[in-house]
Amino acid sequence: MADAFGGAESGTQLLARLEGRSSLKNLEPCLFAEEGSPVHGDVIEFHGPEGTGKTEMLYHLIARCIIPKAEGGLEVEVMFVDTDYHFDMLRLVTILENRLAQGTEEMIKQCLGRLFLVSCSSSTQLLLTLYSLENLFCAHPSLCVLLLDSLSAFYWIDRSNGGESLTLQEMNLKKCANFLEKLVTQHHLILFATTQTLMQKSANSAESFLPLKLPHETDTDYRPYLCKSWQQMVTHRMFFSKQCNSANSKAFTVVSCHRKRNQIVKRSFSVAECGVQF
Amino acid sequence: MSRDKASPGVSQSLLFSIPVAMVVLRAGLCPGLSEDMIQLLSANGIRTVVDFVSSDLEDVAQKCSLSYKALVAVRRVLLAQFSAFPANGADLYEELKSSTAILPTGSPSLDQLLDSGLYTGEVTELMGAPGTGKTQLCLGIAASVSLGLKQHVLFLDSTGGFTASRLYQMLQAQTEDEEEQLEALQRVRVERVFNIYEVLRALQELRDRLSQQVVSSMGPLKVVVLDSVSAVIYPLLGGRQSEGLALMMQLSRELKTLAREFSLAVVVTNQVTRDSSTGPLKPALGRSWSFVPSTRVLLESKEATREKCSTQRAASLAKSPRQPTGIQVELDIGNGDVLDPSLVTPTQGL
Repeated sequence: MADAFGGAESGTQLLARLEGRSSLKNLEPCLFAEEGSPVHGDVIEFHGPEGTGKTEMLYHLIARCIIPKAEGGLEVEVMFVDTDYHFDMLRLVTILENRLAQGTEEMIKQCLGRLFLVSCSSSTQLLLTLYSLENLFCAHPSLCVLLLDSLSAFYWIDRSNGGESLTLQEMNLKKCANFLEKLVTQHHLILFATTQTLMQKSANSAESFLPLKLPHETDTDYRPYLCKSWQQMVTHRMFFSKQCNSANSKAFTVVSCHRKRNQIVKRSFSVAECGVQF
Repeated sequence: MSRDKASPGVSQSLLFSIPVAMVVLRAGLCPGLSEDMIQLLSANGIRTVVDFVSSDLEDVAQKCSLSYKALVAVRRVLLAQFSAFPANGADLYEELKSSTAILPTGSPSLDQLLDSGLYTGEVTELMGAPGTGKTQLCLGIAASVSLGLKQHVLFLDSTGGFTASRLYQMLQAQTEDEEEQLEALQRVRVERVFNIYEVLRALQELRDRLSQQVVSSMGPLKVVVLDSVSAVIYPLLGGRQSEGLALMMQLSRELKTLAREFSLAVVVTNQVTRDSSTGPLKPALGRSWSFVPSTRVLLESKEATREKCSTQRAASLAKSPRQPTGIQVELDIGNGDVLDPSLVTPTQGL
């Protein structure tokens, strides 16, 4: 049994985790530009304004993970950290009912048994909760996906509490980001985190994330405002937006960028009773 | 399902904004944390819970000449005390099935828009220009819940728009039994709130009452109405932006946690703005607020009717966790849409 400080895992645990990891390549191929993604250690950020499908995409990922292999899922455990009190269990159940061949209560509860949920009320509580979750990751080798909705929930409150000092303002989030990185590497996790578009796009975006602004990409309303520690640990950044000109009000777009390899792919999806559909 | 939010030192005191990061280590905070230990830790720069939990304990044991095992034990207790406790999805689902209710609003077309009614555990926003009927709908909800469901309603009025006589009129239209009317009136508690601090205080008092399960005049509460949220937030925005926004986010947290923890339906009303003169209507209070409600309904006056005293309105679904957006229905904010109370039944449990 791993000792309580995230030390070395036993051989069987490592094997169990690696086995869980290899099947995650099929989590959602449509979201990634390159094949064979995601892999353990990936940190994926979902960014976008309100109503663009970020949370729905998370439900889609949860469903993909917790549905048993017999029904086409990955049968792995998922940890969902909710900082917004936004998580809608009934919506998740509706999605599961629509995706399972036999949507019986028992089946659904079996699937839901693979989901762990925790709600945090402040950035400090988030940090302390992440520390205490370490034990959970040690005890559950098949827990390899961590979802965080959203990382920007405490932004204004932290900024106000930090006073004039930017360092103080960002301190908690920086510590959270650093510890998340440690968790992800030590326990071979994949982290998906949502961040909200809280600010207007700046006119002179010297910090423009996309090196080449193609004409049709100018709708990515991205202005980085979270701490550098977070921005640097992200491996994939996905921008969500809603197509206003489309007659179909359900049409959403996600632009997926791999930070280091500069590969960009744009996909459309709609949201139905059964969740996200590409 | 509310997990213990630990000692008062950690829960954010809304009125006094104590930065939570400053939970200072003191003797007796948890078993095993003695005064001597605290002195030694403090001498090495470890003063708060966060400092302690994030330090390398082997290092600390060496520098402070403290027992490694003792430190580990304290760390475990502090984490258990101050962090949130994870729940299992299946358990949470069981709990929600029995505690979630769908409350009819008193207007069948609005119920249709909302997929049967107001869901408890969520914040629903009614937005619209002045005169589009937001307060009328709120009064209708209060009437429907207090009379039809015999549940209590807390109405936080920040605009002075609440009129008891109008509520009474609505109740009279639904039942002729005077005793029932009076009982329903008694189930609606109105508090006039004129700034954000009064709203936060009212919500804190509500939380205290509900936590202690005081069965007084505040019986089984199901709905909290805040009419309007923009009236108390607008004065805060502009100027020192981040403080105002921080207060707004604290209010939104308090509304959401109340809804979740005590299975309430929270209804807020908001103004509308446009990006440009031809742009679509969007809720006021900016981007940060737009993420807060789960459901959003836009109320508009119907252009077709040129009558001066028209009570016809158009309601469209702008945001919903369970229905496609864009659905539109017609409402009558006069008495025409108020339903026969015998047909008003709650959908309790799912």
